[in-house]
Amino acid sequence: MPRLLLIEDDKETADEITAELGDRGFDVSWAADGIEGLAKARSTGADAMIVDRLLPGMDGLTIIETLRGEGIRTPVLVLSALGAVDERVRGLRSGGDDYLTKPFATVELVARIEALLRRPTESPDTVLRVGPLELDLIKRTAKRGERTIELLPREFRLLEYMMRRKDQMLTRAMLLEEVWNYKFVPQTNLVDVHMGRLRHKVDEPNDLPMITNVRGVGFILRAPA
Amino acid sequence: MCAASGSSSVPLPDFARTTTFRSTLAIAGAFVLCTLVLFGFVYWQTAAYLTSSFDALITGELHIIAGESPERRLAHIAERLDNDPRRVRIAGLFGADGRRIVGNMESLPGGLTPDVPANAVVVRVDNQVRETEKVRLATEPLPDGNILAIGRNIEEVAGIANIVRRALLLSLLPAFGLAVVIGLVLSLRSRRRLSEVNRRIQSIVAGDLRERLPTRKSNDPFDQLAASVNLMLGEIEALVHEIAGVGNDIAHDLRTPLTRVRARLERGRARATTLDELRTVVDQSIGGLDQSLAVVTALLRIAEIEHNRRLECFSQVQLAPLLREVGDLYEPIAEDKHVTLQVEIADEATVHGDRDLLFEAVANLVDNAVKFTPESGGVTLALLRRDGESVIQVKDTGPGIPEAERETVAKRFYRSDKSRNTEGLGLGLSLVAAIVKLHGFRFTIAAGPGCTVEIVCSQVR
Repeated sequence: MPRLLLIEDDKETADEITAELGDRGFDVSWAADGIEGLAKARSTGADAMIVDRLLPGMDGLTIIETLRGEGIRTPVLVLSALGAVDERVRGLRSGGDDYLTKPFATVELVARIEALLRRPTESPDTVLRVGPLELDLIKRTAKRGERTIELLPREFRLLEYMMRRKDQMLTRAMLLEEVWNYKFVPQTNLVDVHMGRLRHKVDEPNDLPMITNVRGVGFILRAPA
Repeated sequence: MCAASGSSSVPLPDFARTTTFRSTLAIAGAFVLCTLVLFGFVYWQTAAYLTSSFDALITGELHIIAGESPERRLAHIAERLDNDPRRVRIAGLFGADGRRIVGNMESLPGGLTPDVPANAVVVRVDNQVRETEKVRLATEPLPDGNILAIGRNIEEVAGIANIVRRALLLSLLPAFGLAVVIGLVLSLRSRRRLSEVNRRIQSIVAGDLRERLPTRKSNDPFDQLAASVNLMLGEIEALVHEIAGVGNDIAHDLRTPLTRVRARLERGRARATTLDELRTVVDQSIGGLDQSLAVVTALLRIAEIEHNRRLECFSQVQLAPLLREVGDLYEPIAEDKHVTLQVEIADEATVHGDRDLLFEAVANLVDNAVKFTPESGGVTLALLRRDGESVIQVKDTGPGIPEAERETVAKRFYRSDKSRNTEGLGLGLSLVAAIVKLHGFRFTIAAGPGCTVEIVCSQVR
């Protein structure tokens, strides 16, 4: 059972997050302020941490900086009501691994925690494989079994990202941030349209589907069962 | 120490504490000092002049009498003393032993250098009257061993000093008094003006933003200052009203989706009979809440951009690849809507700016254009060069913005905050306007069929 440390000063929010993550099989311990949080972060050895940006006692970013300074590399998800782009950049710069703006959907939080716990495979291989799907990073070609898939550069980038994170829930926001390096929320369902194109090419009518759309949450790439 | 602490504890009257009063006192003091120096100089010059003319007179006479025969000398001295109605002349002939031979001096004062006139105190004796006098006196030893002394009373010089002193007093006292009175009047006037200004400032602080500082038509520095402050107050008042307007807009933007959510939840609670029905209602409500949150996010984003803090992220941005990227991003969306999206690059411009923000602005414009263009219409994203400026143009064949509304919209863009209320324009255009303003570019909505919006990249910076 993965162990998480939650540093969040609002008890109700903390209770909600703890309950939700508990339901999904995480063991969450909670610290209500910065100083207690830093002490727990040093002693408990959690697998990942969720740190609120503004905390009594010690600011969330200071906690992260302190931990990083001590060589503690536990992945951190920064939570903040400060949603501005600059704040996000600052959060990541101080050593946070991901940044989530309040309020958020619980599924978004869970997806991001899972992504943190399973860092992408940075294999030196130049060919990525998921089931019958094969992506050659040098030749820039894709194949499903024997069938060659013609991909536009943008589709190639999307598929590469998904293959490195197979079996993981990828939310729209995560894809926007990571694949398109977007710092804004477009008004149109950009991700869905692009994903639709890719899915159309990867999963042909007779194939077992590999890309699953989880309604209201995001997408998962899996090897066909 | 004691004196200092004592004096500081003495309460000064209000007017005495004003700067005007203090400067008036200082000026009056300087004036008194100047007058004193001036009068001193006049006195000193007059006295020197008189003394030197006395000296010339007595030495002249001394030499004449000394050059005469002893008999004539005695007669001359007597004649000199007789012809002296003002009793200012002093003369005497003394023997070598100091004994008086003739003259009205009782004795010869000591310490005199022969032939050099000097001040001396002598005793006048005539008609049995003895009186001490201050005189200017010169002596000369004669060939027969006698000493001749000729002098003149110098009390006139003291008289002149008295006249000068009186004149000084007569002129100085009223002048100083006048200075104090003027200082008082000025300080009371400035005090009255300042307390009026103070009173009004306090009422502004208390929240009355319509209050202004008093001005006269004198155009003096104080008036100019008051006018500047009034100008500033006008700006602040306008801004505060604007903020209030923005607040109303935000309230409106948030209320609409929240009202819908509320109604939906209420209806769902009353009417839903199955768990699935309830779930549907809850899902719809969450969607509505997300919409409200998106409004908040967009508003925060606009505020962030308007706060200008991103200038440090500015660098050289190539517009052509940026536009191609936006085109690439929206192509599938346009295709799904059966709208053609064309990218036309006629310029390879580089501008100084924030790439992410410019991307966001262009993406927003294209997003809007694609959204509002009906099926089988077209959107063109172009980069042109016009009048030495690079122009990012987004043209669509949609319904466009009516002529009358266009101007309002454009004007609102300038303030970049009210367009969010315009039906169909959404917060996206406010965001674009904020980004454009941050870059010092211009945003225009051109006339023509459909809608043509342009970002004119003036390369001033």
